[in-house]
Amino acid sequence: MSLDYLWDITGPMLEGARTTILLFFLAILTSIPLGFVFTLMVKSRVKPLAWIANVYIYVMRGTPLLLQMLFFCFGLPVIPVIGEYLVMDRFAAACLAFTLNYAAYFAEIFRGGLLAIDKGQYEAAQVLGLGRWHTMTRIILPQMFRIALPAVSNEAITLVKDTALLYAVAVPELLHFAQTAVNRDFTIMPFVVAGVIYLAMTLVLTFFFKMLERKFKFD
Amino acid sequence: MTNNAIIEVTNMRKSFGKLEVLKDVSFRIAPSEVVAVIGPSGSGKSTMLRSLAHLEEVNGGSIRIGNEELVHNGVYPSGGKIKEITSRMGMVFQHFNLFPHLTVRANLELAPKLMKKYSAEEIRSKASSLLEKVGLQDKGDVYPSNLSGGQKQRVAIARALMMSPEIMLFDEPTSALDPELTGEVLQVMRQLADEQMTMIVVTHEMSFAREVADRVMFMADGEFIESGTPEQLFGSPQHERTKAFLNRVL
Repeated sequence: MSLDYLWDITGPMLEGARTTILLFFLAILTSIPLGFVFTLMVKSRVKPLAWIANVYIYVMRGTPLLLQMLFFCFGLPVIPVIGEYLVMDRFAAACLAFTLNYAAYFAEIFRGGLLAIDKGQYEAAQVLGLGRWHTMTRIILPQMFRIALPAVSNEAITLVKDTALLYAVAVPELLHFAQTAVNRDFTIMPFVVAGVIYLAMTLVLTFFFKMLERKFKFD
Repeated sequence: MTNNAIIEVTNMRKSFGKLEVLKDVSFRIAPSEVVAVIGPSGSGKSTMLRSLAHLEEVNGGSIRIGNEELVHNGVYPSGGKIKEITSRMGMVFQHFNLFPHLTVRANLELAPKLMKKYSAEEIRSKASSLLEKVGLQDKGDVYPSNLSGGQKQRVAIARALMMSPEIMLFDEPTSALDPELTGEVLQVMRQLADEQMTMIVVTHEMSFAREVADRVMFMADGEFIESGTPEQLFGSPQHERTKAFLNRVL
């Protein structure tokens, strides 16, 4: 097993990792705001909005992400009549599935953060004369995000690993290149290298979130 | 009691579901008066106080603050009007309710800044002088989690004073404190009383009620049973229930 060989197989895998990283950033940067919108809907006094958001969260959390991805990639196009207008690039369809799925989890994480905030915080804001907007943006949300941070970190790490599901819709990414190399060269090394690359990515994330937690530690 | 009461409550009623917490409560508070409200737990003291600050909405009766009615026969005005009226009162809670993500100074400055009540320099200097007043001038950059209970409550008092209230409501301000920390909070409240602040203090601190209050009101089962000067109420209580309560706590 030469270093040259390792280098040869690592090149394409790093190339594939770009797709992995692209999906990660697209999914996390869209699903966090979207998840927060669902949190607000669940908490909304407008009951139909809360109801829609609850059903949404139930469906997205209650079915496999893989099923959702296949649904968007291969399911939508075979719907009669409108199907032909729903054909998406497979990577785009996968991104959509990831965003919608992770938004449901983030919605619940943020809701948990809100639940953890004592009602005395709202009351203190009220007696000081703060309106609803200022109470939310200055008092509640900063605390909610801080409380949610460890769970968000957890979810982000899960997302890195879930990107490997792209394998199922044949979008070439990190795991795809590893599997190709294993089949071609009949060696286990590509899987080991792939594992190391995943670990490197999650290590960066772990440090990043630890840093955020330190930055927002209130003491 | 004079005619120009700063707070006048008439026939206030409040229920939580079937539980009647306040039954026909009426009282008046004169400007600069310090009133201690005592009574067994569950007697409605806190609900009464919270209703004044509009943290609870009453089911009936009227509350007049100054010349304006916060609620008239159970009917509230618009939200803007309510805010205007309640802005004349500051409130201090049993559990401090400081904002944990803000430093002590930011806790003080947030509301006046957002409300644009004063200029930025005025807010800064007001915060500094209030921190000094409560003896915490060196704690401005500290987060609340690093303060003792007594220090937290003093910050909470300073925070409420930032909005220059005419009336201060205290909801069991020392009940969550270790006994050795109540003194420093009561000291600040005593000082406020000396400065002619109108204060309503719901408290279990009988010595404070005795020493500082102009008037003590005893509440039980959602009603005021009797009220009088500390000498009257502690010295010669008229009602059996007052006697029974005082026997238990003194």
